[in-house]
Amino acid sequence: MPTMALFIKILSVIMEYGMLLWLLYFVSRSVRYIWLDMKKTGKELSDKAKASAGEAMLTVVESGDEEQVGRRFAFSDEIRIGRGPDNDIRIFDSFVSHHHAVVFLRNNLYVIEDLGSRNHTYVNDRQLSGKAYLKAGDLIRIGFLTLKFER
Amino acid sequence: MNSKSWGLFAAPLGILLLGLGVLFLKQHTNGVFSLPQVAQEFGYLPWLLAAILLAALIQAMLLHSRPQPDAWLFPCAMLLSSVGIVMIARLKPALLVPQIRWLIIGMLVFLAMLRMGNILKKVTQYQYLIGLACIFLLCLPIFLGTEIGGSRNWLLLGPFRVQPSEFGKILLVFFLSAYLSDHRQVLSLPNFRLFFLQLPPLRFIAPLLLIWGIAILMFVVQKDLGAALLFFGIAVLMTYMATGNKSYVFIALLFFGVAAAVSYALFGHVRVRFDIWLNPWQDPGGMAYQVVQSMFSFGSGGVWGTGFAHGHPELIPEVHTDFIFAAVAEELGLIGSLLLMLIYALFFYEGIRIALGCREEGQIFLVAGCDIVFFLQAFIIIAGVTKFLPLTGITLPFVSYGGSSIVSCFILLGVMVSLSRKERNAHG
Repeated sequence: MPTMALFIKILSVIMEYGMLLWLLYFVSRSVRYIWLDMKKTGKELSDKAKASAGEAMLTVVESGDEEQVGRRFAFSDEIRIGRGPDNDIRIFDSFVSHHHAVVFLRNNLYVIEDLGSRNHTYVNDRQLSGKAYLKAGDLIRIGFLTLKFER
Repeated sequence: MNSKSWGLFAAPLGILLLGLGVLFLKQHTNGVFSLPQVAQEFGYLPWLLAAILLAALIQAMLLHSRPQPDAWLFPCAMLLSSVGIVMIARLKPALLVPQIRWLIIGMLVFLAMLRMGNILKKVTQYQYLIGLACIFLLCLPIFLGTEIGGSRNWLLLGPFRVQPSEFGKILLVFFLSAYLSDHRQVLSLPNFRLFFLQLPPLRFIAPLLLIWGIAILMFVVQKDLGAALLFFGIAVLMTYMATGNKSYVFIALLFFGVAAAVSYALFGHVRVRFDIWLNPWQDPGGMAYQVVQSMFSFGSGGVWGTGFAHGHPELIPEVHTDFIFAAVAEELGLIGSLLLMLIYALFFYEGIRIALGCREEGQIFLVAGCDIVFFLQAFIIIAGVTKFLPLTGITLPFVSYGGSSIVSCFILLGVMVSLSRKERNAHG
């Protein structure tokens, strides 16, 4: 059956090139997907850079002392929290360490760092180990004080 | 995005069907199909169907779970695996069913890793325990190991042969990411100066020196050059990534240079590897046979390749594990091999993107470390096969034949995908 053999030959050649085409299809599709994603991320970052020209804000949401609720602390590059006199937010609470935590700006994002406090810092009710990026709306709890982070 | 990801999923399936189809037609060039023979040839079909179904199930799960994890890495791993399956079916048909079986096991492990995302975050608290486990695992073959294919890095567990270094590298990445995120500041603050180098106190870099030492030990005792290079590379790249201090890279290069020179002078197998890299033609039929045949493969493949199943890559010893890239290059040509390398590059890019999207430092290092493992493995073996660097045996991730290799690749992939979930803000 020469026609059958020829048919099989042609079919297998088409299939061999088909494999290469599938590889090419996968790569081109992925490159497009990654390119679009890159463009989107770039746009988001530039939007964020524009928005962050202002500053961030920590608002007291809950406190042992009722008078403190609603107090706002605005800052732009760094804010220190603790019981010691050299802090930006002083908390008179025996559960708070002298230098308890610090929030600072890095690459347009705010980072909260626990400074080795004895009773820990909690972000959204999860214990902070080391440091973490903050996003708008995060709740920071230190001792009896809860601060809301906004930017 | 959903429909796009299913579109990506069609590519591995297409390669699998076309490749196996070509092999089937090659058995029947005269057009005679007898039923019993065909039935015997399709013995792998139930396993293959099970693997495809499992893969589709995992992909559907990835696409429908919220918060949405990364849906590109898994199809990419499937594409690489399907290239591997097709090549193994062509090179070593007897190993096709075991390979598919390992792939299924790998995917099940991947599924388990996705479920354990929360445990993953906690496990890094036990960093020194992980470090000790890693050392234990790596030293195991020194005492209990069996020598297979020139390297004393195998353990025999009943019917299974396990390569502990494949799992040791995962523990190493876990340990390093936890260690570096805890000590990043100490490590990046220079304490004393040595010429143009800036170094932290010795006790903080002791674990790094220990890892380098173990890598050298593996190199000497187990003759496992590939794994040693991989471990060394992981430690150096992750430290540089975490601290941004180039001094570490210089010290590592110095350390590596001295170690390489000493082992060249002392150990025969290192000298052989280096000499056949410099000049494979001094012994093309003996010591350099593998490398020379690999070069012939690349040469006869040319730009377009000889066509799938039309070359002779089976002349290379161990072509189904370490040298599978040479087989791809011969039969799919420059085009196919470049596309494969491009896929590894995209994989690396995507991994780094996921790492940068993580919120905690430890997770960033963990994901990036896993990504580095894939990148280094692909680089080391492709460089070795093409004689860009002296040959060091290591598997090509997802493509090469090997149970330990596939399962460990899927564990690393599982870590990356499960940490890629974007945590949505509850307050909008």
